[in-house]
Amino acid sequence: MAVYQAELLEIGRQYLKNDAKDGVLKVNSDIIIDCMQNCKLLFAPENRFFCTVDCDGLVRDLHFIRTQQYNDELERLGLQDGQEALAHTGGPDIGHTCAHWESIIPLGIFGLRERIVQYRDLHGKTEKKKAFYDELLRVYDAALRFMLRAADAADANGNHEMARSLRVLTQRSPSTLFEAMQTSLIYYVLQQMFDGTVLRTMGRIDQLFYPFYRNEDADTAKTLVEAYLQEINALAPTANIPFALGGTDPDGNSLVNELSYLFLSCYGKAHLPDTKLHLYCSKNTPNEFIEQGLDCVRNGNNSIVFLSNEAVIASLKKLGAQHNDAVNYHVVGCYECGAEQELTCSCNARVNLPKALELALNNGRDMLTGKKIGLENDGTFPSFEAVFTEFLRQVEYLCKCAIKITDLHEMHYAQTHAAPIMTATYPHALEQGGDLYGDNAAKYNNSSLNAIGLATATDSLAAIRKLVFEEKQMTMDQLIQLLKTDWAEHEALRLMIRNKYPKYGNADPAIDTIAQKTVDFLSRTVSGHPNKKGGVYRLGLFSIDWRWQMGEKTAASADGRLAGQPLSQNSGATFGADRSGATAHLISVASLDSSGVPNGLIVDLDLHSSCVRGENGLQAFTGLLRSYFTLGGFAVHCNVLDTETLKKAKEDPAAYPNLQVRLCGWNVLFSSLSDKEKDEFIARSIQQGSL
Amino acid sequence: MKGIISGIKRMEIHDGAGLRTTVFFKGCPLRCIWCHNPESLSPAPQIAFFEAKCCGCGSCKLVCPEEAADGGVDFSKCSQCLQCAQVCPTGALTIYGQEYEADELAELLMQDAVFFETSGGGVTLSGGECLMQPDFAVELAQKLRQKGISVDVDTCGFLARSALERILPYTDEFLYDLKAIDAQVHRKCTGQDNTVILENLKFLLQHGCKVEIRYPLVVGFNDGECQKIGQFLQDLKFTGKIKVLQYHSFAKSRYTALGIPDSLPDTETTFEDVANAVEILKAYGLNAVNGITED
Repeated sequence: MAVYQAELLEIGRQYLKNDAKDGVLKVNSDIIIDCMQNCKLLFAPENRFFCTVDCDGLVRDLHFIRTQQYNDELERLGLQDGQEALAHTGGPDIGHTCAHWESIIPLGIFGLRERIVQYRDLHGKTEKKKAFYDELLRVYDAALRFMLRAADAADANGNHEMARSLRVLTQRSPSTLFEAMQTSLIYYVLQQMFDGTVLRTMGRIDQLFYPFYRNEDADTAKTLVEAYLQEINALAPTANIPFALGGTDPDGNSLVNELSYLFLSCYGKAHLPDTKLHLYCSKNTPNEFIEQGLDCVRNGNNSIVFLSNEAVIASLKKLGAQHNDAVNYHVVGCYECGAEQELTCSCNARVNLPKALELALNNGRDMLTGKKIGLENDGTFPSFEAVFTEFLRQVEYLCKCAIKITDLHEMHYAQTHAAPIMTATYPHALEQGGDLYGDNAAKYNNSSLNAIGLATATDSLAAIRKLVFEEKQMTMDQLIQLLKTDWAEHEALRLMIRNKYPKYGNADPAIDTIAQKTVDFLSRTVSGHPNKKGGVYRLGLFSIDWRWQMGEKTAASADGRLAGQPLSQNSGATFGADRSGATAHLISVASLDSSGVPNGLIVDLDLHSSCVRGENGLQAFTGLLRSYFTLGGFAVHCNVLDTETLKKAKEDPAAYPNLQVRLCGWNVLFSSLSDKEKDEFIARSIQQGSL
Repeated sequence: MKGIISGIKRMEIHDGAGLRTTVFFKGCPLRCIWCHNPESLSPAPQIAFFEAKCCGCGSCKLVCPEEAADGGVDFSKCSQCLQCAQVCPTGALTIYGQEYEADELAELLMQDAVFFETSGGGVTLSGGECLMQPDFAVELAQKLRQKGISVDVDTCGFLARSALERILPYTDEFLYDLKAIDAQVHRKCTGQDNTVILENLKFLLQHGCKVEIRYPLVVGFNDGECQKIGQFLQDLKFTGKIKVLQYHSFAKSRYTALGIPDSLPDTETTFEDVANAVEILKAYGLNAVNGITED
């Protein structure tokens, strides 16, 4: 792992003075070349293919310095309070990309450079265009010199295999599996460390390496696959480094090959905490491949996301991607899918859905600060429909604010970022003769908005309907007062709502319909909305850890949540609210129309290891996943809980209210066991784990 | 037709093939001393109190007509009016036993049809003893089978032959408990004679039904029956699976919650005990499996 150097940033700041005179592409290229010549090379014991460097993301830091000037603009637009309240946020995103691996691996760094020359000769007719290609060439020439520097250092370190092939790869494209993997890791360092544009996937490695794999003997291939996985794990960037297996061709045929199985089995054995795996599944994906993936999960590799090709491709095509580009999609981070040669920018704008409801109930004002950050209303709610309509009106407003802030930043990419290394991998950008950021030269130049807290908002709306309009236990005004005082002296009512009111995630159409309508409204409002780059916005429904930060700034909600508590996670049920089990939970989530949610609709599924044990358990687990996809599910992340979880559940039963455990022929709720019994079960679980 | 159900467990993998939903019927004719489903013994709905969940709000006290409920239940006074569970905000007070129409329950179970289809699963009727409510069980099984859903029946076998005959056409597999061959031992462990149980098993096998035998192993009580069970099944030329289940006392807290004195043995059945029983049964040429690790 590279170390950050403060003095390097100081040097970088000096370069910024040249932005206005030379343009960001030239300045970034200067910095990149400077770093390539002067950075320290770091060799870790895992490094069989390549090293890392000590100037991780200098260009990225400079990007953020450059964007600061636009923050003043927020105040002028009056959007600062809403941003601070985390009702809506927006901004640039150079943190979620997929390079065009389909160019990089066959061509190598040498071949990428050659291709720039070809495009320059074809398209470099004007001075400006020619200057663009020359700038890329200058950077790629430096990259080849950097590889030679690394080769010398590798020799000095005694790693002659690495050194020899590095030198070879400055002369030609990769021809062996080793060289192909090495190219993958060299490119990672070039983009991630020097370009500063965060590379959020190693791509479809089973497809990319397959032509090379076919020429290797089985033992060599296995050793290389293991070494490759170890080495990408050792990169250890923030939020892990993803890679993908599986997928289909444009006709829908499965692309799973021998190498897919090899990667999966090596991954399953290696237990690598800093990688994550995306499995692209379709109805034509062989069962045994999915079973092997699920087997990894139940053996403790919880960091696997299963995606439905059918759902993903449909959502990308609806957004305007051509069929083949949609089929060759990639996940650029956690769950967000982009078409081939799409600059996804998957983490720009965010909207806090429970906050929208808070604003609806409080005349557009934040209940915690009193500041006006939403739309005013007359405060009368004659029916549940009136509440829901007002909620959607506030949602739409927050989306507009978040998009406005994002637009503000994205229209200035030409002044804040240029990515010569990544740009040279996109054939479309080379044809255009423009930078991916400064000139919006990707094939698809999109932006994104993620809506957070869907279940919290849905459950709150459902509770209002039951409490105020169906059972008439209190008036809207009384309920609003309660929320403002964080349920003061109404703890029993709060618990009753929390524990016993119907909730999203139980296959209850009366509740799920609220979530469905909200998602449909968001899709219409966000997906396809034009951005400032000639592209469109993409809706996502994932929350990651934003749900904690947003929850802290959100008042009590009508679902029984206390002020400051986290919002619901991703697109799934509020933790503990999925009382009817996994199948019901999946039915609810799959009932949401994902075709307008290309940026990711994901459910986290907690299962106890005893639910997926044995041959029948694996078959059932596979059936669970297949069924979810048959019902229209988009993506799922399964947690198979282990002994550690049981121990935590014993210490804090409220956090795991639905954890079921089963030994022989029956189930018990873990929380209903006595301490002694829990201890027995934990001991039992340890024994099971050792069998 | 209405039935009383003590619980529904979706995504079950231990009660037959594939992904299943197990429906626990309320009421049982046996009183096995090791019973792990005490909430399914009585046929009537009943209150349970889980102390760990109680928030001490006192809501129960306000509605209890017998002055039995107050952050706990005095079962000697409780009339099982069930009102306290309705107002309990945390579920510390809860009701075992909910009434369902067969149509309504079938519709609920049908929600998981896709899951059953893709995994080769279905619905398992269990309990308690599901055939203690034979009309309801048969109607439910019939409705499910009409919709193409597989139905398994988990039974203790202590019931009138007619009930088995009626459910048989709608059943894919019987999960059949065999606790002891010796009548004395059986009576001591379950409170009832086993003649009917053994005869009913023979009846099912004669009719070519698919049967999985379940032998709950409780050391000190019916472990001595292992050879006799092996011999009995060998004589019947039984070719199905026999699963040895491990006894443990996890149900203790539910006895307390229900206010029922528990009869649970203090003995432990270990993994080795189960493994030994499996070996013994295999010696009789049976397809015996260890319920701890296999399904």
